[in-house]
Amino acid sequence: MAGSDEGKVTTASGVPVKDIYTPDDIKHIDYERDIGIPGKPPFTRGVYATMYRGQLWTIRRLTGFNTPEDTNRRYREEYELGQTGFSIAPDISTAVGMDADDPRVSADVGHAGVPIYSVEDMETVFNGLPIEKCSTFLADRVGGLLTPAYFLMAEKRGIPLNQVRGTTANDLCTWSSIDLFNQPPPDGFLRYAVDLIEWCTQNAPRWYPVSFNSYNPRDNGINAVQEMGMLMATVIQYVEEAKRRGRVPLDRFVRRFAFNMAMHSDFFEEIAKLRASRRLLQRIMKERYGIEDPACGQLRVHVQSSGSTHTHQEPLNNLVRIAYQVMAGVLGGAQSIHANGYDEAVCLPTDQAMLLAIRTEQIVALETNVTNTVDPLGGSYYIESLTKELEERAWDYIKKIEDQGGMAEAIKSGWIHREYKKAIIEHERKLASGEITVVGVNKFRLEKEPYEVPIFRPDPRSPDILIERVKRLREQRDDAEVARALKNLEAVVRSEENTFPAIMEAVKAHVTPGEMARIQLEVYGPWTYPIGG
Amino acid sequence: MDKNKVKILMAKPGLEGHWRGIIAVSSAFRDAGFEVIYGGHMLPAEIAATAVQEDVDIVGLSILSSNYMRLVSETVKELKDRGRGDVMILLGGIIYKEDFPALKEMGVAEIFLPGTPLDEIVEFVRRNTSEASQKVS
Repeated sequence: MAGSDEGKVTTASGVPVKDIYTPDDIKHIDYERDIGIPGKPPFTRGVYATMYRGQLWTIRRLTGFNTPEDTNRRYREEYELGQTGFSIAPDISTAVGMDADDPRVSADVGHAGVPIYSVEDMETVFNGLPIEKCSTFLADRVGGLLTPAYFLMAEKRGIPLNQVRGTTANDLCTWSSIDLFNQPPPDGFLRYAVDLIEWCTQNAPRWYPVSFNSYNPRDNGINAVQEMGMLMATVIQYVEEAKRRGRVPLDRFVRRFAFNMAMHSDFFEEIAKLRASRRLLQRIMKERYGIEDPACGQLRVHVQSSGSTHTHQEPLNNLVRIAYQVMAGVLGGAQSIHANGYDEAVCLPTDQAMLLAIRTEQIVALETNVTNTVDPLGGSYYIESLTKELEERAWDYIKKIEDQGGMAEAIKSGWIHREYKKAIIEHERKLASGEITVVGVNKFRLEKEPYEVPIFRPDPRSPDILIERVKRLREQRDDAEVARALKNLEAVVRSEENTFPAIMEAVKAHVTPGEMARIQLEVYGPWTYPIGG
Repeated sequence: MDKNKVKILMAKPGLEGHWRGIIAVSSAFRDAGFEVIYGGHMLPAEIAATAVQEDVDIVGLSILSSNYMRLVSETVKELKDRGRGDVMILLGGIIYKEDFPALKEMGVAEIFLPGTPLDEIVEFVRRNTSEASQKVS
């Protein structure tokens, strides 16, 4: 129980929490300098002046399974239920850039997402859906096929590239945190990532060409401070790379940065985390890079309820966890929210779990009135004090990463992965010792599971369907055009040129993801994550 | 190398990318004094070949992408083909309860779901490798 014994009660990241906060605790905080009004630097209170009174957050859930056809059906259902944005979860074969008939990946086709190998597959996914009204998030492989396929689909529908709206993941931080096969090392990753950003600044100015994402790293067990630090160190890495190249003015390069963060269990810490992150980004742009345009330091953030907090035991308990995490995202000022399915730790979401997730966001948005005023917790002694403390601790953590040579070097040397590994092991130790409580798992655990929930089963036919489809794709395309596109791609990859136009041409010519990845990896890869051993 | 130690190959058949579970379990096995080979992503045939080459007692499989029926049965077959049907197979991850009987029938010794205390998994190994653990003590 929280008592007056200061220092013993802490936030999840270890910030000591006092039993009461008073004006004394915010004496060092200057309203104009550190907080300010929403829509103005340093954006602590929100990136927009009117926040949810002007526009609600986007309800956007990451979805994909089986085949493009089945995924389209689910997208239509989600849209009918009032979802306002789409988010493509690629299947494992698409995410790693291997074709369905590659024996190393064939068992995984249609699992954990949707396989998309061509513009036609992308068109199937969005058949009947108004992409001119909704924006889409693409969890694309770096240098992958989803972004060009989406652009080509938009053009075919008569939407010019300078109007197309959405986001490509394209982020080194996320990438460091998941064990992906068939990947380039950090240098190669950064090259393809920055190529897309440069290209979009010229050609697709409404597209967000990168979404710096600490959601997945957080699910490795790191805390809120590490999450913020890794995220911002990644931003710095990208800006440094743009500076080194010197092809695009920095204020244009950083203009369309998007963000994606986790909403974890510690309610107030997560709210303070979003507020502190906005301040951090603005300060990095302004103080470190001298970018004065306030449009450049705005942390527009999508948040997702934290999958690693959801339990396999008594899965309905997760509905409660998800609702609180969504609420933290709203009170923290997120622009887009994914509420997980309550069955996150059991299976891919069932129809019912998907419905409940959308309804959770709608109930928070439309019934609780928390959207009535901007940053309702601003000015709270505790929240402001915690926001400041998290900001300072995040600066220290950024410094630690910079001492390793920056994010890319820290990944290469294995430093980041040692942080993940330590966090994973530390979490297990705390669970075992009872230092942290997870209801129904290490406390109040029932001997026998009290109920079962419905499960979702992927269609076991998906691998065969996709193997047939990729074979047909290879038969029906123009071989000469493919050969030309591959040759061109290889030449560009080996040069210093921007690779994105050649990737677009390759996708247009129906080069398969596997063929494309092979060439992209030739120069750089392959890379093995320094974890596990 | 201590010949008496329980030797475990930890692997992810297939290419699904969640590593939190396998790293936590591998680390617990090491702390318990077992010898752990971390294989990461491996094809079933590679798992079996490594199991033979390294003469392991146990193969630990971590799968979170619901294609475990296919991946486990392929691994079992590859082990049997190499004359190592005796290797104990442990499975962890997101596994549907209704598939437990079929998996056990296939030859999986035990299945551990998310939220299982690591001690329980270690204890299971100790209990079921009595010969080896006696040698350790």
